[in-house]
Amino acid sequence: MKLVSVFSPERPWVWLAPLVAVLAVFTLFPFFYNIYLSFHEFNSFRRTLVFVGFDNWKGMFEDAKMWRAFSVTLIYMTVCLSVQFVLGLGLALLINADGRGYHLIRSLLLLPLVVPPAVVGMMFLLMEDSQFGVLSWMLQSLNLIAAGAPLLTSSKTALVGVMLADIWQWTPFMVLIMLAGLHALPKEPFEAALVDGARFRHMLFHLMLPMLRPIIAVALLIRGIDLFRVFDYVFVMTSGGPGIATQTLSFYTWKQSFSFVKWGYAATLSLFSLVFLIVVAHAFIRAAKVRW
Amino acid sequence: MATAQKTRPTWRAWQLSVRAAAAWAVVAVFMFPLYWWISVSLRHDQDIFNKPPKLFTPEVTLKSYKVVLLGISPSSTSIEKSGAVHWGESSATFALPSLLDSVYIGVASTLITLAVSLLAAYALSRMRFAGHHHFIFWVLSTRMLPPVAVALPMFFLFREFGLIDTYTGAILIHALMNFPLAVLLLKSFIDDIPREIDEAAMLDGASRITVFTRLILPSMRGGIAAAAVLCFVFSWTEFLFILSLTQAGVNTVPVAASTFVTSTGTAWGYMAALTCAAVLPAFIFIVLVQKHLVRGLTLGSLK
Repeated sequence: MKLVSVFSPERPWVWLAPLVAVLAVFTLFPFFYNIYLSFHEFNSFRRTLVFVGFDNWKGMFEDAKMWRAFSVTLIYMTVCLSVQFVLGLGLALLINADGRGYHLIRSLLLLPLVVPPAVVGMMFLLMEDSQFGVLSWMLQSLNLIAAGAPLLTSSKTALVGVMLADIWQWTPFMVLIMLAGLHALPKEPFEAALVDGARFRHMLFHLMLPMLRPIIAVALLIRGIDLFRVFDYVFVMTSGGPGIATQTLSFYTWKQSFSFVKWGYAATLSLFSLVFLIVVAHAFIRAAKVRW
Repeated sequence: MATAQKTRPTWRAWQLSVRAAAAWAVVAVFMFPLYWWISVSLRHDQDIFNKPPKLFTPEVTLKSYKVVLLGISPSSTSIEKSGAVHWGESSATFALPSLLDSVYIGVASTLITLAVSLLAAYALSRMRFAGHHHFIFWVLSTRMLPPVAVALPMFFLFREFGLIDTYTGAILIHALMNFPLAVLLLKSFIDDIPREIDEAAMLDGASRITVFTRLILPSMRGGIAAAAVLCFVFSWTEFLFILSLTQAGVNTVPVAASTFVTSTGTAWGYMAALTCAAVLPAFIFIVLVQKHLVRGLTLGSLK
């Protein structure tokens, strides 16, 4: 058979086969292997996986640390998503203008996106140092925190400290998406509203936001998924500490698998995150009518 | 009369400059952490820790860059006064290999991702088949997999095939990670090319593969470049997979940077120098494809 006839229009699966093969390795294999693992546990004496039935699943629902990690993740996701969205939209409105300077601003805002998140974590770790950190010093000068207050080593403020890094890195992402959305809006409704003497606040809530709805939905979806999977910042900034104050679900799962060698339990936790994320994301996609 | 006419444009100019000032103020706030990081990379060890911090670098030195990128021994260049770091051997601070590892893994994984994704994107854009919609959803869903959920099964798979701590393993995992992004993004670029072009060419006797290689690929060069840059950047910044699936043999920049944190202290200057050097090329690439960036960051959903 000639190559040409293999790639005929009637055979889309030939074109898709390489992708299907690699996605099977990347999604189906981990999925089924996690299911297999979640009914087993590594036994360090026998150096082998032992069948444990539903023990991991039962254990997970009774594990207070897991629920703590889950709620930390949800708090982290909600706060960061709200702050990034509001800041992102506000900033986009501010720099949605023509001119050389604004073009330069838009380019500069791309910078945070190319810094590896693990490195951003370390930048903020240095800046939030309670003794010598420049950010701590600024917050102290503004009387926002007490002098010498340990931002990252106090269980009350550590999560905020981690969030600062995330917000710094990903607010520009929101700005870029909102700018694109604002750019695509038709001018006429806004001019008409201005002629009718509408206030800015009314235009924002009754015209702009409804018209931006599809774009906002996509931005929240993509950012929300990534926020739920947060790992890098936590790993380098606090390692989940102090105590378990900043331990997110991803970090807890990672620790179970690569520090405690609780492979079965880690797989159970992974499946829980995965199912939660897919259910919530798909519900959101349906509710917000996101299209691809 | 004359004053009234004059004040109006002045008031407008005022508004414009207030807006510009506000915009630049916000940008300054966002650029500050990067300024600080660059400044740390250019400082002597004793100038990194000050109380209160010195906002301007007292004395610029390229010492950290020399140590990290050229492997010049730190003991001969640094004056260690403050609570900074004491490194036993210079080999641990020479990080140029990690930069090269990052480039190699980034380029190779991007090429693999693009090759496979382009074929799939063309089929998804031009051909209709049963389960078409579900297939796209499946591709999208793989973006929802938490990396931890993939890392552990992959660890066992890689161990079985001897891929732990190898370049092949690192390249494969980064290629796999970027497929959903590349497929959905490239599909959206192919969707932009009118179908009539394909159909006209096929009426003239061209095969699908000819249409794909001679018509589609050349007319979406900008889109391919954008996809390539994004895949490269995501490989460049990825942390968890390299952390879990490699040890000393493969070291990309984010993981190498984290190894400057030791029990005796953190080599902030070296870490900053390495990462500043690493961020610059990625930034240049991403500015070049700025036009398509929003589409890329939203997986082809927004044009």
